[in-house]
Amino acid sequence: MLPKTLVVAKHEFLATVKTKGFILTLILPFIILLPVMFTSGYVMQIATDSPRNIGFVDETGILQPDGIFTRFEDIGDAENALLNGEINSFITIPPDYLKTGRVFLYRTGGFFGSAPTGLIEAFLIDNLLRDSDVDETLSDRIRCPVDMEQITLNEKGEVEEKQAVQFLIPYALAILMVLSIMTTSGYLMQGIVAEKENKTVEILLSSLSPDELLTGKLMGFGSAGLLQICVWICSGMLVVSLTSLAGIFQEIQISLILILAIPYFTLGYLLFAGSMACVAAPASTMKDAQQGAMVFTMLAILPIMLLGVIIAAPDSTVARVLTYVPYTAPATTLMRITLTGIPVYEITASLLILTISVTVVIRLSARIFRNAILMSGKKIRIRDIPVYLKR
Amino acid sequence: MPENTNNKRMFTIWQTAAAVIAGVQREKTDEPVLDVAHLTKSFGTKTILDDLSFHIESGEIFGLLGPNGAGKTTIIRIILDILKSDHGSVKMFGKVFDEAFKERIGYLPEERGLYQKITVFECLKYFANLKSVKKPDDRIDFWLEKVGLIDYKKRRVSDLSKGMQQKIQLASAFIHDPDILILDEPFSGLDPVNTKIVKDIMLDLKHDGKTIILSTHQMDQAERMCDRILMINHGKKVLYGTLDQIKADYRESPVMVVEYEGDLKPIDGVTGMEDYGRYAELGLEMGTDPQEVLKNLMESVKLRRFEMKSPSLNKIFIEVANVA
Repeated sequence: MLPKTLVVAKHEFLATVKTKGFILTLILPFIILLPVMFTSGYVMQIATDSPRNIGFVDETGILQPDGIFTRFEDIGDAENALLNGEINSFITIPPDYLKTGRVFLYRTGGFFGSAPTGLIEAFLIDNLLRDSDVDETLSDRIRCPVDMEQITLNEKGEVEEKQAVQFLIPYALAILMVLSIMTTSGYLMQGIVAEKENKTVEILLSSLSPDELLTGKLMGFGSAGLLQICVWICSGMLVVSLTSLAGIFQEIQISLILILAIPYFTLGYLLFAGSMACVAAPASTMKDAQQGAMVFTMLAILPIMLLGVIIAAPDSTVARVLTYVPYTAPATTLMRITLTGIPVYEITASLLILTISVTVVIRLSARIFRNAILMSGKKIRIRDIPVYLKR
Repeated sequence: MPENTNNKRMFTIWQTAAAVIAGVQREKTDEPVLDVAHLTKSFGTKTILDDLSFHIESGEIFGLLGPNGAGKTTIIRIILDILKSDHGSVKMFGKVFDEAFKERIGYLPEERGLYQKITVFECLKYFANLKSVKKPDDRIDFWLEKVGLIDYKKRRVSDLSKGMQQKIQLASAFIHDPDILILDEPFSGLDPVNTKIVKDIMLDLKHDGKTIILSTHQMDQAERMCDRILMINHGKKVLYGTLDQIKADYRESPVMVVEYEGDLKPIDGVTGMEDYGRYAELGLEMGTDPQEVLKNLMESVKLRRFEMKSPSLNKIFIEVANVA
């Protein structure tokens, strides 16, 4: 026989994972990412293959054909070749090209194909330099003047090298963490208000204590949220392993992120869920509860709003403070780990503060839940909270 | 004999045996089933219950009566440990109430509610699991059969009519074979057919030795069914005892029932008048001569019928509530 807390947890877990909304959030990454995975190869192929056969009609007499560029005597021939699929595009070089630099590109429509600007520029530079006195090294620089590498310095003046795509990872992590915590604690809030609205809460309380009921709900909805985040992480890793993004992850402490994601999610969820329970228990309707929960939603998205500051200076005072503030710690810490080497003491202190906050909030929420769950027909008022706590 | 009839018979035998075994296992004691002493509860400055004491004997139907807002639901919630009292104690079978006792109580709250998006079976199974029922499926079938809704077992609760949902809720209160049943306005919203079904179930349970606490303001039902009553008003005890005792206390204030034509006017010696246009119940002051009242009545209306009787519980209730 299951303990009553687990009966509630099982009921809430199954009720949540069977909802259309939950199933949709589970499969949404697949719906979005799988087509991208399968079509990205095709897109890349089109993008790289299409410019390989380009025609040109030269009215200056300075251009020579090569492996990619084919000469046509007039526009009519080039057009026919384009329409017959013999070439992907062609350019015409007017007689005043040397003076104006103007060329005309002809191509058929196509969703994925892009103008082969780079190839055309390289082709023209090669031909322009062919008969010049410029040495090979200089001509190479003219062909490719910049090979830029971005270097970022931290507060200590140490060099941190990052690829541009790496900035997407903290952003994705923050969104993922905030989304899963808020969705899961939102389920809890909905569950509490729904049982008040459909009047089942009094029957439940005749079978188990308010503390058992709240604990069961926290476990049930939390498990559903954990399932959600695990599916997202696994599907994300699958996509990464099948694409060229895998290399980027080798440079990030991915194992550390995964190890820390679970406690930060669990503690973050308990903190927000406990807070949501505080506003849901006295609320009579979902609208009242959502209004009360607004402040917690704002706190949850604060790290995303300050994303620019955190990315620009992950060791700044703002980023550090957000790491210690319990409501912003989960998203901020995971973002910072991808950007900088956070000292162990900061992570430990952050987790400690979060754990203490969770303990306090859960105790408060259990008390408010116990005293306010049978209240009905009243708006949530901050001044009533001490009354709920005293009873 | 058809197989399902056999199954039903076997199930009834099994249920009877289980009830006997459970009865033997549960402690036999002379203590009242429920002993409530000096219960006091306030919300803010408003006193809801004021030093209330009563006890409930095993196997009786105990009426918890009072007007709306009298404090009936608060008493029930304190008994169930949903609310904490400011002072006083609740003992069940002679012991201080704890969480384990909840499994021996079945509760039908006044505000009915079920999970709408799941099936009747899933809903009842959840409630049965919360009451630690060992073979919930058998109990669910038994009670659905009893309330005539076995064919709706796999239907979503939201597909059922309000009356059907009320019977499902009733089944959920009985599903774990409780010793004590607390029914808060069980007949509210039921049509006469379903009222009879619920009343018959309650009487069956009483015959099985269950104790029933019936909270209601429908005095006629309470008068017909209850062995003893507690009437409260503004959180205070105003009547308490067997119906015979209470009626005996009010025997000196008889009621004259009359059927008439005309306009009924105030009459000397009549304390309370329930006038329905063609029918009236007149409460007589202590020591009033009914002959005098009749004589006065005949001066203003044409009498069709008259009868002297003890005051009904409804009449006593109104009188007591007005005095309080």
